[in-house]
Amino acid sequence: MNPASPAQSRREFATQLAGGFGSVALASLLQEPGRAATAPAGTSPLAHHRPRAKQVIQLFMLGGASQCDTFDYKPALQQRGGEKVNFTVTGGTQASAGPLLKSPWAWQQHGQCGRWVTNALPHLAGCVDDLAFLMAMNAPTSEHSAGQTMQTSGFVVPGFPTVGAWVSYALGRLTENLPVFVALPDPVGLPWTGKAAWTNGFLPAVHQGTMLNPAAENPVPDLFPPKKSSLASAGSEHDGLALLAKLNRAQLQPGDSRLEARIASYELAARMQLAVPEVLDLQGETAATKALYGFGDAKTEPLGRNCLIARRLVERGVRFVQLWCGSGLAGASGNWDNHGDITPGSDFERMCVRSDKPIAGLIKDLKARGLLNDTIVLWTTEFGRTPYSQGSKGRDHNGNTFVSWMAGGGFKGGTTYGESDEFSFKAARDTTMCYDQHATLLHLLGYDHEQLFFRHDGADRRLTDVHGRVIWDLLA
Amino acid sequence: MKLLATVLSLAALAVPAEAASAKPSSTDWWSLKPLVRPAVPPIGNQQSATGNPIDAFILAKLREQKLTPAPSADRGTLIRRLTFDLHGLPPSPEEVDQFEQDAAPQAYERLVERLLASPRYGERWARHWLDVVHYGESNGFGMDRPRLQAWPYRDYVIAALNADKPYARFVHEQLAADAMFPEDASLVPALGFAAAGPFNQSALVEQVDGTDCKRMALNLDRDDMVASTASTFLSLTVHCARCHEHKFDPISQQDYYRLQAVFAGVGRAERTFDADPQVRVRRTGLRGLIADLEKNPDAHPPTAAERGSLATAQRAWEKSLAAQAANWTPLSIEQVTSTNSTTTFTKLDDGSWLATGTAADKDVYTVRARVTLPAITALRLEVLPDDRLPARGPGRQDNGNLHLSEIRVSLAGTNVTEKPKPIALRNASADFNQAGWSIERALDGKPETAWGIHPQVGKPHHAVFELAQPSAVTNGVTLIVQLDQLHGQRHLIGRFRLSATDKPQPVRAPTLPVELLAKLARPDAERTEAERKQLFDLHRLVYLREQLAQLPAEQRVWAIAADFAPLRNYKPTKEPPPIAVLHRGDIKQPLATVGPGALAVVGTLPAEFALPNAQDEAARRAALARWITAPENMLTWRSIVNRVWHWHFGRGLVDTPNDFGRMGSLPTHPELLDWLAVEFRDSGGSLKQLHKLIVSSATYRQKSSIQSSVSSVQTGRSPAPASLTEHWKLNTEYFQRAAATDASNAYLWRMNRPRLDAEAFRDALLAASGKLDLTMGGPSAMQFKFDDPNKEVAPRVDYAAFDPDNPASYRRSVYRFLFRNLNDPLLEALDAVDPSLSTPIRNSTITPLQALSLWNNRFVLRQCEHLAARVEREATGLEAQITRAFRLLCTRAPSREEMALLTEHAHQHGLAHACRVMVNLNDFLFVN
Repeated sequence: MNPASPAQSRREFATQLAGGFGSVALASLLQEPGRAATAPAGTSPLAHHRPRAKQVIQLFMLGGASQCDTFDYKPALQQRGGEKVNFTVTGGTQASAGPLLKSPWAWQQHGQCGRWVTNALPHLAGCVDDLAFLMAMNAPTSEHSAGQTMQTSGFVVPGFPTVGAWVSYALGRLTENLPVFVALPDPVGLPWTGKAAWTNGFLPAVHQGTMLNPAAENPVPDLFPPKKSSLASAGSEHDGLALLAKLNRAQLQPGDSRLEARIASYELAARMQLAVPEVLDLQGETAATKALYGFGDAKTEPLGRNCLIARRLVERGVRFVQLWCGSGLAGASGNWDNHGDITPGSDFERMCVRSDKPIAGLIKDLKARGLLNDTIVLWTTEFGRTPYSQGSKGRDHNGNTFVSWMAGGGFKGGTTYGESDEFSFKAARDTTMCYDQHATLLHLLGYDHEQLFFRHDGADRRLTDVHGRVIWDLLA
Repeated sequence: MKLLATVLSLAALAVPAEAASAKPSSTDWWSLKPLVRPAVPPIGNQQSATGNPIDAFILAKLREQKLTPAPSADRGTLIRRLTFDLHGLPPSPEEVDQFEQDAAPQAYERLVERLLASPRYGERWARHWLDVVHYGESNGFGMDRPRLQAWPYRDYVIAALNADKPYARFVHEQLAADAMFPEDASLVPALGFAAAGPFNQSALVEQVDGTDCKRMALNLDRDDMVASTASTFLSLTVHCARCHEHKFDPISQQDYYRLQAVFAGVGRAERTFDADPQVRVRRTGLRGLIADLEKNPDAHPPTAAERGSLATAQRAWEKSLAAQAANWTPLSIEQVTSTNSTTTFTKLDDGSWLATGTAADKDVYTVRARVTLPAITALRLEVLPDDRLPARGPGRQDNGNLHLSEIRVSLAGTNVTEKPKPIALRNASADFNQAGWSIERALDGKPETAWGIHPQVGKPHHAVFELAQPSAVTNGVTLIVQLDQLHGQRHLIGRFRLSATDKPQPVRAPTLPVELLAKLARPDAERTEAERKQLFDLHRLVYLREQLAQLPAEQRVWAIAADFAPLRNYKPTKEPPPIAVLHRGDIKQPLATVGPGALAVVGTLPAEFALPNAQDEAARRAALARWITAPENMLTWRSIVNRVWHWHFGRGLVDTPNDFGRMGSLPTHPELLDWLAVEFRDSGGSLKQLHKLIVSSATYRQKSSIQSSVSSVQTGRSPAPASLTEHWKLNTEYFQRAAATDASNAYLWRMNRPRLDAEAFRDALLAASGKLDLTMGGPSAMQFKFDDPNKEVAPRVDYAAFDPDNPASYRRSVYRFLFRNLNDPLLEALDAVDPSLSTPIRNSTITPLQALSLWNNRFVLRQCEHLAARVEREATGLEAQITRAFRLLCTRAPSREEMALLTEHAHQHGLAHACRVMVNLNDFLFVN
């Protein structure tokens, strides 16, 4: 990565001599290191154009959610179930295609827009007029970790910054009290790639997603000292931090804003100690709100809780929330990787139930509070599934086509873009990839995806690599 | 498929205006110019006190900028700087006192010599190297499986640095130790270099050959090796040329794929080796002999002496087999059922049962059989080949394999209402176990593990299970044997037979074919000559295999290897496969095939290798290693001296250490860089000499700031010599001007002030608390709670739940186990690397999460308690204790005001809490 530009350092130094160094150090800490690298000298890092949205909630359905049983209605598939069609298999885990498997779920049109949704997702079906669908997404891989890494970072290999990290890098913080980028893993466990799913890659560490684990003693690592530690008491905490600040302040050096920044970092940490428990304390939420998210039912409450926390995080100024539905580390079940069975009673149904009401609740709640206007909600997965069967009742991985949707923040509800072929095996028209989705996201956040880059190892790296185009058709 | 092609172009190369105008085909670029030793600039009467040529180059540039160097730092600052720099540890207060009181003119040089001679040096500098080569101890990607045998490479690097191995030799060993030094197998761990990066296990091991996914993964796997080699040794970013001619540097796609061809013949695997040459010779000999005799029993007739010892051994062998042999009586099977209606069973004449019909994914067979022996001690399950099964069986999977998840036995009730009574089994053994699928897994109670027989398909196999309580099963009872086969994908038994024995335990499955056992049962006199010969030949192999098994276990290292044990679909290739240039990096658009070679940009050397045998993959790597280290290869020598400079000063003479191309930075001191490169190359490539040269310079010894340190002003310890401060007074006006000219200190008018990196912080804390364990080497210390229930996904790793007083906590951080996807939050907060990609420069951030970790982390707090206990033991009186703790952390003693405040705090909240405050001081976190 690049150190600060000489011009920037000069400015910083001059300001320090003029006005003491406290204010500048705090400001530079709040702005995040590295951000100014994209800004011309002498200006603050402004957005490229007027933004339509300022925050993002990314919902990730881990495992490869079946488009064939949720959003991609294909009459031919429903009519010709059981028939053997000669598909050229290019991905997945098996070498040959089984017979067509019609969706065992009932299709129906919903909303003003007449969007087809199965009865596996009855609550989301009620939200379709707020959703903008990408009906022909394509993934370059049918392998879980590569697919997940692709959708989260735009690359099939590990090590690149995730979307949340890029948004943090570009837009910086809205609040001093909470991290810019928060990840909420499924309470069942972490995604396929563990904590790499919210990595900052080569961007500075401050852009890394902060994992929030609401159930843990420390919902953020080291937020508080361990309860059992003899060193932890309210009085000593306060006195110790005050003494630390005093001692560190006495050793400041002109020209080195990092020393002052460290003092400020403890002040921000103290604010976070207040803000994180507050955001996780759901006592103030009404029974009606909780019901909206599916509280009170063991099948929906775990994800409902995280969805409600996501809303509270956004309300309090967190830029980017990444919320996971499904875990890769629990083994073959507990996610959307439904090789064996997609019929009622299967893991597929459990994942639908687990997420349907909470996510619909989140959309409705954001909308009712006016937050949906400048918050983008993005629902995605690593790839789709095959219209033909694996075993007798399951579906294999299929990177050729899948569905993703967005809502709020400048997207036009009730719209669709793209179309898959007659069986939903391959993307057929207006195919999109995550690059296009990410480009559109950055566009709505006020950035031209081709102009937002970071120099690393001899290349000006972009979230969208050398690809991506804004999907204007879905914008309001 | 156009779509895939665009996806594959990994390189994001937005074109800045100035770079676009450059002609990429041209080698007219600073880093590609031949190395010529520049003259040391004359610096007149400002000759540095040390007479070190480095200072002449630095001074010349400073003068151009109208800057002057800072005076030398005081001794306390210098010993702290040097010890952290060379050891990654703080100096002890005793070492500080000794150095400060050493009046000898050679005191500094002696200190440097002492530090470089210590093994702590190799541990510190190996960590730098491991950052660059992106060394990790798990596979990364989705199946972040641990690599338990990666550490020998880490130990190799530490040992090589401590031994001050000449740099060219260091490069040779890492790329081609096997080809260039075949006589010294102890160097095999060096080959961990090219295998250090991530490994896409789910694509490479699970996917079958020929799929797009697999071919793309293989291409990207080689890309990782090529990119790592070029950026590590040459400071070039060649990976852009995977998809197109490099836009900024004169690297063609052909150059790039020539490099891929160098690595085409290797995979990543646990490579075995014998560091002991005697053992290696013996093992190689025995293996060759066994392989020959397996093909032809008469290939090496035994000598008379051998015949003698073989005869003795054979008698003993036959005796032990006779003692082991059991009589097996087939169970009288009444009924076999499947949980799937599509499967039916047919009884064959030999008492075995054949499964027919459509095989389900998973199945459970249930067998009801009547016992006809007085008391059963063990059960035998035979799985048998059959022409009606795929690949002749004995399994029903396409490849003939089967997976027995669990075997359960129970005693049927005497009437329908009585529940079957479970019979416990133990001591499972089998004639053959598939790697990773051994027979104990059929008794471990875990449905996800199983016994398998791949690749020994098409042959009979058998497994034996002892009854835990033999008396439970008697004549006339009915047994229910349940065979769980739950792995999926039709890993089911095709044909089987069940038998029982009443031979007293132990009963084990013999590893000999059943028909030979029958021959052995007869006394020697009754055997035919042919049978005798057959038994002799067979025993000879058994004997030689035993000899082989008695050798010390082979060592293992995760490394590149041309030959390795196949892991499902990941197999070695007999010869390096041909490598074609790929249009836009697309595996479906191959262009011309290229041979192994290097980069044409290095105009002083031929890019194509002249190899006597082009298919010898190891020779390809050796040729690349020689090309890299050729004296004419200007990139190599510039690259390494720049890295070393970067690690000493926190900023390289070129501040993009992995990129000397047009997207990288220009050198601030091109003449100094070349002088160092030539000096280093021509004096034998000794890194220790290079360190000595650099740290001895007045440039390195400068102060880092204009303020005098507290220790010299307020404790009266080693005041800065007055003469040195003459031209560099505590002068804000000068500082302002210097900072305005060169705020980032590129010209080194003062020393830089690094923040401790993650490992140095952790190690320094342990050193201060007195808990640091300086044991070197060996398997990595797992500083987390480790739970690995499912071998198909990443393990569970919990740092917060790990006992900070577990001895593994106390090892140096270079020995901690490095999960790629599951890093330690404490070290992550301090910018520890993510080894998915190369890290030539550590980030050094300051964040609220870092503050939280340093203030609250369980491990940190525990060390504060240990530190307090230590100074209570070592000093009397609170002030003395605080002074000692302060000096252990910050090297300097506390000022009077600091002492007053800390004492008051300790009175109120305890000494350990005062230590907690000290651990968070900037004067601990930064090195002046």
